Amino acid sequence: MPAGPSRAGSLSTLGRVGRRLRHWVRRGWRAVAYLWRRSLMFRSVAITVMTTGLAIAIIGTAVMISISNNVYAQRRDQIESESARATIVAQGIFDAATAGEDNNQSELETLQSEAQQAILSNTTSPGGTSIAIERSPDQAGPQTVQNVASQHFPDAVITEALRKEVGKNTGKLSLQPVQLDEDGRRQPGLAVGSTLQIPSAGQYELYLVYDLSDAQQTLDFVSQTLSIGGVALMVLIALVTSLVVRLVVVPIRGAAETSRKIAAGRLDERIPVRGNDDIATLARSFNGMAEAVSRQITQLAELSRVQQRFVSDVSHELRTPLTTIRLAGDMLYDSRHAFEPSVGRSAELLHAQVERFELLLADLLEISRFDAQAVQLDPEPVIPAALATDIVDEFRPLAERADIDLQLVTPGGHTTMQLDAKRVRRILRNLVGNAIEHGDGKPVQVVVDSDARTVAIAVRDQGIGMPPEDAVRVFDRFWRADPSRKRTIGGTGLGLAISLGDANLHGGRIDVWSKPGEGSTFVLTLPRNDRVGVTTSAIPLPDLDESYEGPRAVREDD
Amino acid sequence: MTPRILVVDDDQALSEMIGIVLRSEGYEPEFSADGNDAIDAFHGTKPDLVLLDVMLPGIDGIEVCKRIRAESGTPIIMLTARGDTADVVAGLENGADDYVVKPFNPKELVARIRTRLRPTASDATVLHVGDLTVDVAGHEVRRGDAVIALTPLEFDLLRALSEKPNQVFTREMLLEQVWGYHYKADTRLVNVHVQRLRAKIEHDPDNPKIVTTVRGVGYRAGGA
Repeated sequence: MPAGPSRAGSLSTLGRVGRRLRHWVRRGWRAVAYLWRRSLMFRSVAITVMTTGLAIAIIGTAVMISISNNVYAQRRDQIESESARATIVAQGIFDAATAGEDNNQSELETLQSEAQQAILSNTTSPGGTSIAIERSPDQAGPQTVQNVASQHFPDAVITEALRKEVGKNTGKLSLQPVQLDEDGRRQPGLAVGSTLQIPSAGQYELYLVYDLSDAQQTLDFVSQTLSIGGVALMVLIALVTSLVVRLVVVPIRGAAETSRKIAAGRLDERIPVRGNDDIATLARSFNGMAEAVSRQITQLAELSRVQQRFVSDVSHELRTPLTTIRLAGDMLYDSRHAFEPSVGRSAELLHAQVERFELLLADLLEISRFDAQAVQLDPEPVIPAALATDIVDEFRPLAERADIDLQLVTPGGHTTMQLDAKRVRRILRNLVGNAIEHGDGKPVQVVVDSDARTVAIAVRDQGIGMPPEDAVRVFDRFWRADPSRKRTIGGTGLGLAISLGDANLHGGRIDVWSKPGEGSTFVLTLPRNDRVGVTTSAIPLPDLDESYEGPRAVREDD
Repeated sequence: MTPRILVVDDDQALSEMIGIVLRSEGYEPEFSADGNDAIDAFHGTKPDLVLLDVMLPGIDGIEVCKRIRAESGTPIIMLTARGDTADVVAGLENGADDYVVKPFNPKELVARIRTRLRPTASDATVLHVGDLTVDVAGHEVRRGDAVIALTPLEFDLLRALSEKPNQVFTREMLLEQVWGYHYKADTRLVNVHVQRLRAKIEHDPDNPKIVTTVRGVGYRAGGA
């Protein structure tokens, strides 16, 4: 059957349409949620429109109810009095005729139509009235009058309940709201029932059905007007709100934009101040703040410049006398054998200490350059493994003197990288020198390894190590793990701080693991590409409280 | 003949100390403490080498360097307190042959002086590179009949490159051969002096044909 696949096709199309619809609804919803979160303007307007919409709806409904009640009550009163009058008039006609003579059938019928005419002329209700005169049930009279009804009398609306009510013959009018069917449209109406006593014919029931569609029309018109007015009012309020919010939001956005620019370093940016209102006050105080901040920054920059200048001047001023001392000390040192032993020894001490002083001064200047951010990388193509090999070779004599087995393992780091070789060498010299100094005669391992993102060089000793509280402070300036420890190489106390500065300059870092009695491992990690910071390392280190068996490459070697 | 060395430094103690060192090494020091006086002292003493402090009262060391170089190829070694600043490059670009960073020790200073005063080996050969004739014995470079005035350092640099035409010299090799450094030194020395040399010998220094750059390696003479 061909309907099968086609139906399936149409179903799947339907499914697709449904999915797409859901997709768009979700997107729309997300867009609204986004606007709600991000746009103060949207939120203010939405809240205002929603609340005023609710208020307008409530007020409108109340007004509509009140007006329709009013209109209905008025019509009802009018209909009631009209019906009463009509009943009286009709009854009068019948009564008057009866007073004259006995009635025959035809006369009664004449009377009936007369009454009908009279009733019609008495009802002035717009929209038309339908009349019906029906004989009350269970009447015993000599004569009967035919039930009459005006054309198109809606028999259906005269319910049993109404007939019963009228049948009670209380002398009052019975009213019942009804629905009229007019050309297929339902219209409100009012049915009024009363009784007529027709002589010699008995009790008849007079029904008048009033059409209330005119009142309904009025009410429809009123509600339409109210709705249009309400919607127009909401649109107006939305516009007014957005205008008012705009007055506030636009300066706020301007302020945000300006602060962004200031944050980006354009310290001269200010918010234009207009008028004397709250926004202007905000702008003025913002500008005041910006002014103060920019003054501070300028002052700090000036201070920093002065500081840099000072450091540079001190460098020059210190270096010149130090050069003289150095030259003099070396002259004395070279001829120390010609002096008395004590003077000769003094020359030696002078020589050694001047050298140390020189190193200290150089390190201090280097640190101050880092502080002043006056350092720059001077990258060149470097093969890290080759560089590490150079350094290890350089330190072999020292390691031999300290009776330390200096091992080098290079599973990685054989490709060329852009590095500042001078700085990387300085870092490695420092790490290897420290490892030999603190290695306690046990082997020192230098491991170069790499992964996709980093190249790492680990320097591991298995010497005295440090407790965790010391390990976290090794990069502090002039900090010494054990002040009483004998120094064999004689660092300045700035070595690791400078090394860390050098590593950071490359976008790299230095991590440390250490445990008393188990030794220390320092890992220099450098990024392969760019100078973005590294988060992982080709040689990962455990936390200080965990145990460590050395870099993977070394463990595998064992 | 004792080589004469003009020491231009405003620090009297240092000047005197340098003088002691120089005398002990067999040189004859002359002194000037002021940038303005330095040029006159240069004319008066006709030194074989100038030791020049960068920071001087009166006109500064860079300017002194420029003025001396304008009239003479006498080797100039700058004394600087800041080895990594623009001072060094400025000094080299204005004609200084080498520099020593304070604080230096006597051996370092003497080694630098010795390299610059070292008599060039007179193999009595004549080298040809491009359209240039390098007369090693005569310490002269000619293009046709026109003599091109080079400083001794620039001459040494050109000679080193010309002696092995088409061989690529790394900056480190040149530092060792021309400047006498046996360890890693400042490669800016080479870069700056190659530029100065090219400015004198090339037809179009921006498009060098005689001393060419081999990217990532170094320099060579004679072109490819």
